[in-house]
Amino acid sequence: MAKLPAPQELIASRPPFPGEHWLALKPEFSPGSFCYPAKPDTMERLHMPNPHEWDPAADDWGLPENWEKTLCDAFAERLEKHRSLKLFMDICVRCGACADKCHFFLGTNDPKNMPVLRAELLRSLYRRDHTMLGKLLGKTAGARGWDKSVVKELFYYAYQCTECRRCSLFCPYGIDTAEITMIVRELLHEVGLGTHWIMDPVKNCSFTGNHLGIQPHSFVEIVEMLADDCETVTGIRPKTPFNKKNAEILFITPSGDVFADPGIYTFMGYLLLFHQLDLDYTLSTYASEGGNFGSFTSFNMAKKLNAKMYAEAERLNAKWILGGECGHMWRVINQYMDTYNGPTPANMIPPTSPVTGTVFSNAASTKMVHIAEFTADLIYHNKLKLDPSRNDHIVTTFHDSCNPSRGMGLLDEPRYVLKAVCNNFVEMPENTIREQTFCCGAGSGLNTEEIMELRMRAGMPRGNALRHVQQKFGVNHMACVCAIDRATLPPLANYWAPGVTVSGLHELVANALVMTGEQKRTMDLRQEDLPGVEEDETDAQEGGE
Amino acid sequence: MRLTECLRDEKEEILRLWMEAVYATYPFDAKGVLRTVSDPFGNPGADMTREAAHALYDAVMGEETTVDGVKGALERFVKLRAVQRDTPSRALGVFHLLKPIMRQRLLPHCTDSGELNGYLAAESRLDSLILLAFDMYMADRETLAESRVKEIRSQHAQLTKWAQAFKKSLLVAG
Repeated sequence: MAKLPAPQELIASRPPFPGEHWLALKPEFSPGSFCYPAKPDTMERLHMPNPHEWDPAADDWGLPENWEKTLCDAFAERLEKHRSLKLFMDICVRCGACADKCHFFLGTNDPKNMPVLRAELLRSLYRRDHTMLGKLLGKTAGARGWDKSVVKELFYYAYQCTECRRCSLFCPYGIDTAEITMIVRELLHEVGLGTHWIMDPVKNCSFTGNHLGIQPHSFVEIVEMLADDCETVTGIRPKTPFNKKNAEILFITPSGDVFADPGIYTFMGYLLLFHQLDLDYTLSTYASEGGNFGSFTSFNMAKKLNAKMYAEAERLNAKWILGGECGHMWRVINQYMDTYNGPTPANMIPPTSPVTGTVFSNAASTKMVHIAEFTADLIYHNKLKLDPSRNDHIVTTFHDSCNPSRGMGLLDEPRYVLKAVCNNFVEMPENTIREQTFCCGAGSGLNTEEIMELRMRAGMPRGNALRHVQQKFGVNHMACVCAIDRATLPPLANYWAPGVTVSGLHELVANALVMTGEQKRTMDLRQEDLPGVEEDETDAQEGGE
Repeated sequence: MRLTECLRDEKEEILRLWMEAVYATYPFDAKGVLRTVSDPFGNPGADMTREAAHALYDAVMGEETTVDGVKGALERFVKLRAVQRDTPSRALGVFHLLKPIMRQRLLPHCTDSGELNGYLAAESRLDSLILLAFDMYMADRETLAESRVKEIRSQHAQLTKWAQAFKKSLLVAG
């Protein structure tokens, strides 16, 4: 007679020593562990190779007949093109310094999510075809050949890396594991494997300029509605200049700030700030997206989508570009834009603040300035009248978004601004901020709801640090300078540190900004009552009596 | 040996064995990091396990505690298991792993000293804690489900508002 299993058997504890080598253990494609695949129609319209219908949970992924040759050739081509990739393949000594630095490893405890071993998935293939030892000794030298389960494994782990580069910070050789992930994703695209959450925005950006594919007239109307909301809060309806020729500044921000809650309040913050400064700027319906999901697809796609920035600056004859709060947009700008799309159009000049006269020499090459730098400069020169007490109900911390912090060193400017507009600021623990910041767990195109559990475990180290300051210091707010963060941190905070709200930096700036001719502020940009304002009025009336 | 003394003496070893049993639910190659890195932010999973282990032991052994207090100490650990394992049994089964350890380390002493009832009461408290943990697990899973819905709404919040305004203007225009 069969007996029920004991609890130990039910939870499937593994044997003390595994029977198989780590590389031989294959991932299980259970629902929630993978992103949905891109639609063939999307891939066809983008002229991506081998578009086809496939299901990650199925045994057969419908790879093209010559899939192995395609992948080997594509890998060889990239090794030839990117000397850095060849270096990253050769130089790793597997010291393990990166092993416990990845939020995916810390959250999943899956060894193949150790950056060193994730890279080893590709490196083992490299050894077989591109190293003498691998050719001669094969498996003994850590080499292995391609098979379909290897392709599946590469897909599984390339989309369990957010390209945040925290591991690179600890690598004594400076190996950029994010670039290895980028290459793996490129290779997978060669055989028609991509994800819907990335490729749909790429298609929309290609055809209409922004992630949701909103047509220009609708885009303008949506921004107008945000200006209406600004008026409700402040009594001032900010200007919404679009496609204005000869404007000094072209402003480009991720479209998530136009469509998504809570990013929309950050966008309202931009509108109010620019209105108060009477800035000669313009928005664009063509360059209506700062985000670049092409950078999660391939270098060529990233280059193509990014090209619209300079094209629009040239068409509108703008002198320089001001960029909104975004993460990977700034990685692309700071790290790749010069070689992707440079040199800048002849009409562009090194950015100079029209308010303070500061020349942003750090942006002399790209001619693009981050809005946190721009606003920090304004505050430094006392050009803004601020009432930080309007944010007194907030005890805020700051989440360093991976790309601006590690990708461009934007560490102090946002903090400078935040401290000027909020009286209560608390840092999270030292090894979770600044260059060592933990990712939100859903960057690089992983912020899709079908992998919510995966996101919660990948974001656990960030959520854990947030929870710590919430419990120890009463933190109830987290500011950030990334549109993906504004989308992914609210569910993460709600799970790991319920009660903490999330916003962009410029939402808080606009809340504190004292504007010329504004009405008495009784609510914040979210149209939520400002605590204490009504009581003050009552007190004043009582005092008057 | 009396039960109280036995509980005190065996605490460190029982906690160690239970944490080992928890770590054994993760892949072999991940165990080294879990066991050796003590930084609460550099190795949060192990920190959560440690916090839960101490709270669990004290509560099971009948130390003065409140339901809210013990729930607070188990919260991070349950949240982690709720997103790491695909079935409730695999997520929460780790609490049951304390029983064989208790039976190995405590039961013989309790039987010898005639305190079997005290031992059985401790096991019953563990059962209560597992029920509490199950409630917490379900609340966490509900939060996840709600997050999916909220996120879909938030992604297009302003677009929806615009579409509603557009529809209204069409209706007004007849």
